[in-house]
Amino acid sequence: MASTSPRSVFQAFVLDVFFGVYLAITLHRIIWHRVLLNSEPNELTMPLAIVYGSIGVVLAILLHAMKASPGRKIFGLTIPGWRDALAVHMLWIAGVATVVTSWVVTKVSLIDLFSGDRLQRAGQLFGSLFTPEFSIAGQAASAMVETIYLSLMATLLALPITFVLGFLSARNLMKQNNTTFVVYNLVRIATNFTRSIEPLIWAIIFSVWVGIGPFAGMLALMVHTIASLAKLYSEQIENIDPGPMEAIEATGASPLQVVWFAVVPQIVIPFLSFTIYRWDINVRMATIIGLVGGGGIGDLLMQYQGLGRWNEVGLIVLLIAAVVWLMDYISAKVREAIQ
Amino acid sequence: MSQNILQLRDLEKIYPNGTHALKKLTLDIREGEFLVVIGLSGSGKSTLLRCLNRLIEPSGGSILFAGRDVTFLKGSELREYRRQIGMIFQQFNLIRRRSVLYNVLSGALGTMPVWQSILGRFPEELQQEAMRSLEIVGLKDKPLIRADALSGGQQQRVAIARSLMQKPRILLADEPVASLDPATSHSVMQYLERINKEFGTTIICNLHFLSLVRRYATRVVALKGGELVFEGNPHDIDEAWFKRIYGEDAIEVQID
Repeated sequence: MASTSPRSVFQAFVLDVFFGVYLAITLHRIIWHRVLLNSEPNELTMPLAIVYGSIGVVLAILLHAMKASPGRKIFGLTIPGWRDALAVHMLWIAGVATVVTSWVVTKVSLIDLFSGDRLQRAGQLFGSLFTPEFSIAGQAASAMVETIYLSLMATLLALPITFVLGFLSARNLMKQNNTTFVVYNLVRIATNFTRSIEPLIWAIIFSVWVGIGPFAGMLALMVHTIASLAKLYSEQIENIDPGPMEAIEATGASPLQVVWFAVVPQIVIPFLSFTIYRWDINVRMATIIGLVGGGGIGDLLMQYQGLGRWNEVGLIVLLIAAVVWLMDYISAKVREAIQ
Repeated sequence: MSQNILQLRDLEKIYPNGTHALKKLTLDIREGEFLVVIGLSGSGKSTLLRCLNRLIEPSGGSILFAGRDVTFLKGSELREYRRQIGMIFQQFNLIRRRSVLYNVLSGALGTMPVWQSILGRFPEELQQEAMRSLEIVGLKDKPLIRADALSGGQQQRVAIARSLMQKPRILLADEPVASLDPATSHSVMQYLERINKEFGTTIICNLHFLSLVRRYATRVVALKGGELVFEGNPHDIDEAWFKRIYGEDAIEVQID
């Protein structure tokens, strides 16, 4: 027994209620109805939800009181013997129910994947993709150029903002007094929040805001670039050698001079390297962002896909793969060279 | 005798983690002396040096510089005070990717307007002065070499040249030769001695090797657990004192 503090007993009980309700819902709605009866369960209305909730809570109280509950098992608070075995059975049943539920919810169907006519359709599609239509090469190339330039623009416009934010979110520089520490926390919260929204979603937001096209895609990439690079920059600043800062401070230099003369020389190269890498990532992302109206090669891909012209799509996919590989190679070489 | 340039009164330092690094330290430092501070690692030597130029804030007591209380200086007054005190470090603390000249010039930042320094516009006089500083430490043929391309001893001499740009009245040296080999150690110590004798700069230096202490110091203080346990002539440190400062099991190691 690990500990019998009231706190862990309570935490175990909270887990037990979760297990109770979770088992009531998955066992009845998925395992019983969908798997065993192969029927749709009733719509989940409020009264029905209350029924599931009550069954779950009653189950939880009962098992918890018997010291035979899954929550207790997790905290090591069961009594050895049949009670402990019961708790273990509950845990594996919950595990199996979860896997089965995932399978059912995902509508996994081996028939759809491997039946004769489906396979034939896939064969045709791959056949078209592997015989690309080169007559649209010019159109595809100019769309690709648009993608490369829009991602370069996004990276360049993000750069000065990121540079400042990187310093403002570096703990070692901002911890000196309360005012700067408040700024540090605000910047951290803002960039963390911005970063947690995928560029694809930013592209949807901006295509509504400024209209579909490369500008919306550029803005989406820029916002996400600022948020992710600011984090990399600030981590780099936090890892610098503090010795030179101390030395410059000791000469009677002002805080801005300390940053400029002791911090900046240590981070220029890593910043440059991160930025080039980010451009590389942005080219890759720009192709995806085009799918939701962010301009460039992704836009073109969506148009031909909508028309079902798979040979053209094949050429575009080929071009994207080639450019992404090339960008990856070049950025790796450049980053190696400036180290 | 000469005047006291620094007077420490009941100086205290307690770190946020509870370490009591300096305990009621009272000490006078005379203008123009070569004072060496000895003691085990963790005895408070580095803390003491950094309290003197306020890189570390003392928790109590006071510091008088040429009779003036500098314990609570802030902002530009603090920077003005720091400009009069040079400092060199065990790890040299140069900006490794920049040239020797750039590193030496950075010692003059306190005398320049911020915008001018950030644009990198160091006036002609400062550049000449930087070259003179390099000449003093015997490196005038290396101004454009990257700092990290130099040997350890040369890097420490660049650091000395950087501090000379401040025309300091006091030079703090925190274990200046602890990362160097014996021959180079003597070379660096001789430059400090020369600055002490030619410019009358007061030197306050933390050292580990007693042989160096006897050779260069005009006066020695020893710290143990943040307290002053010895103050006097370097040649008065005999076997008994040595064991009191460094502990019963310590054996003196020679550096030639």
